[in-house]
Amino acid sequence: MMAGMLLTGCGPSANRYFLIESSLRAHDPQGADVIVQRAEKDYGEKSRVLYGMDRGMTLQLAGDYQQSNMVLEQAEEEVDRLYTRKVRTETLAFMTNDTALPYEGDPYEQVLINVLKALNYAVLSQWQDALVEARRIDHRLNVLSDKTKDKNAYRDDGFARYLSGILYESTGDVNNAFIAYRNAYETFESTRAWSHTGVPPQLRTDLLRTAEALHFTQEFAEYQQVFPDTKWETSEALQHLAQVVVISYNGRAPRKEDQFLDLPISLDALQLVLLNRGFSQANRQSNRAVDSVLYGLNGRVVRVALPRLVPQKTHVPVDTVSLIQENGTRVTLNTELVQSVTALADKALSERMAGITVKALARAATKFALAEGATRGAQHAAGKDAAPWVGLLVGLLTKGLAVVSEEADKRSWQTLPDEIHLARVWVPPGRYQVANQPISGPHDPLKPEVMRTLSLGPGETAVLIQRVMP
Amino acid sequence: MIVMDRGRIGLVVLMAVLMAGCAQETKITRVDSGVVTDLSGRWNDTDSRMVAESMVKEALEYPWLNTFSGSKHRQPVVVVGTILNSSHEHIDVNTFVADLERELTNSQKVTFVAGKGDREELRTERKEQAMYAREDTQKAPGKEIGADYMMKGTIATILDEAEGTKAMFYQIDLQMVDLESNAKVWFGQKKIKKVIEKKRTIF
Repeated sequence: MMAGMLLTGCGPSANRYFLIESSLRAHDPQGADVIVQRAEKDYGEKSRVLYGMDRGMTLQLAGDYQQSNMVLEQAEEEVDRLYTRKVRTETLAFMTNDTALPYEGDPYEQVLINVLKALNYAVLSQWQDALVEARRIDHRLNVLSDKTKDKNAYRDDGFARYLSGILYESTGDVNNAFIAYRNAYETFESTRAWSHTGVPPQLRTDLLRTAEALHFTQEFAEYQQVFPDTKWETSEALQHLAQVVVISYNGRAPRKEDQFLDLPISLDALQLVLLNRGFSQANRQSNRAVDSVLYGLNGRVVRVALPRLVPQKTHVPVDTVSLIQENGTRVTLNTELVQSVTALADKALSERMAGITVKALARAATKFALAEGATRGAQHAAGKDAAPWVGLLVGLLTKGLAVVSEEADKRSWQTLPDEIHLARVWVPPGRYQVANQPISGPHDPLKPEVMRTLSLGPGETAVLIQRVMP
Repeated sequence: MIVMDRGRIGLVVLMAVLMAGCAQETKITRVDSGVVTDLSGRWNDTDSRMVAESMVKEALEYPWLNTFSGSKHRQPVVVVGTILNSSHEHIDVNTFVADLERELTNSQKVTFVAGKGDREELRTERKEQAMYAREDTQKAPGKEIGADYMMKGTIATILDEAEGTKAMFYQIDLQMVDLESNAKVWFGQKKIKKVIEKKRTIF
């Protein structure tokens, strides 16, 4: 029963994400959403937050923004609740593996919950609600930077700040927009080394425009000095135009896999591990049963599982969107990289790795001691005659179980893209057709040109969201 | 003997950990709608009701009401305008507006007219009556009462948080504006402060 409990839940998720990605590639976000919805029970109680994240994304892509907000709100509330850790759950996880812990998401994923909600509200033109999310983003990031002492860690989010600025400016709050743009700029600059995301060229024009509009002469002069070649237009010039913001999710977020370390604690065991490694790959699911029997019989091998990130890089450096006015005028937008989710995931995992490793080693030692205790206890109880074979059997079971139950926590928000791109343009008010350029050439049958119609009044903002698969 | 005990203890601990805590049930208790229920610390029905009650009461105690009644020999006509949510929460402003409208109407000291959203619906109904209703029952357009004052305001929050303790400060500003002169005849403010503490560890 216990083995059954411990072994559940790693296989189906890989399959699920494969199916989701296939649906997205076939331009069927509704299908992707149905897959997540049907898998709700498979996610289980421990992964309620993950379900909310995955579902929130597929619902957004499927165009059901209200429902997306509902599940994301639930996920956010659950994250809040998980602040309080239960000793009981922590102990169970310590005895088995980290997948027994409730998933609360990495800090960057928690920020992205608010980012997705803000985008949903913006698409629905519920600007006041979008601003609530902008305020929550600000609060979440403030708490995070207070908590995180390491200046080089993930403690602020350039894209989330930038999006907040866009939302503020779209509602006429230029002052808050400028503050958000400035924070975004400083974050992009300070995290450039590991985030692989430079300051988006569009942000430079936004800083110059808002600084000028607010008559912040000193800041304006400073930014002009830093970006001497940036062309920009004043707020006054844009006043009677309409704004189009394109958010493009490109590619697939990285996945995690197990990286097993078999630690021999005797010379015999070392030979066994070396011999066994000659035959099989430790990280393959099918070989784990064999390993557990072998190491269980030997009784002197402890296994430690650590998560390893597997990037799934997108092949789309720039995405292009065209806006075609009724008179045939065409405006072409090129998106700019604003967030590398892979870089964020990599950073988050590397920050937690030391803690994960220490915990995994302590767990391995405890499991070994418990198995050893159970074996000797059983031998003693069985009496002199039966002791050798009872000991062998119990040792095989308990130590084998210790090996087989070892598994890294491979959960992550996998419906996210590899990269998030953004484009922003001001156009004369009117009706527009939106066309996504085929990214992999005109021969790609899976990527027909998607057409949407926009009707824009002066001063209005439209937010478009699209998913581009590699 | 000691070895055996250790083995048994290990197994017992394992089983206890695995079996513990599956039993949870839903319990429902009916309470009076006036009972204060602070569950999450967020803006709730109690805040909405209490703020509306106390602020409308305060607004109607100020001299602008008597000054108006004295000079015009009738009750002032009030409409509720936009209540802007600039807080950290998705507050259903409509509930708060409804609470304000209820308090204003029930005070019997002012004449209260329908707000913008309601007016659209009423006008559509009158247009339809003009086309489809019996002539003697039709309601004519152009007979609406124009408001003398508009009540508008904001709900803002200041949020501070560290180590699982959150201090949420709500500030609700309401003002009564003379629609003819744009003069602000009354300015009310209500502040609510909540401290929400979360434990880091429980058993």
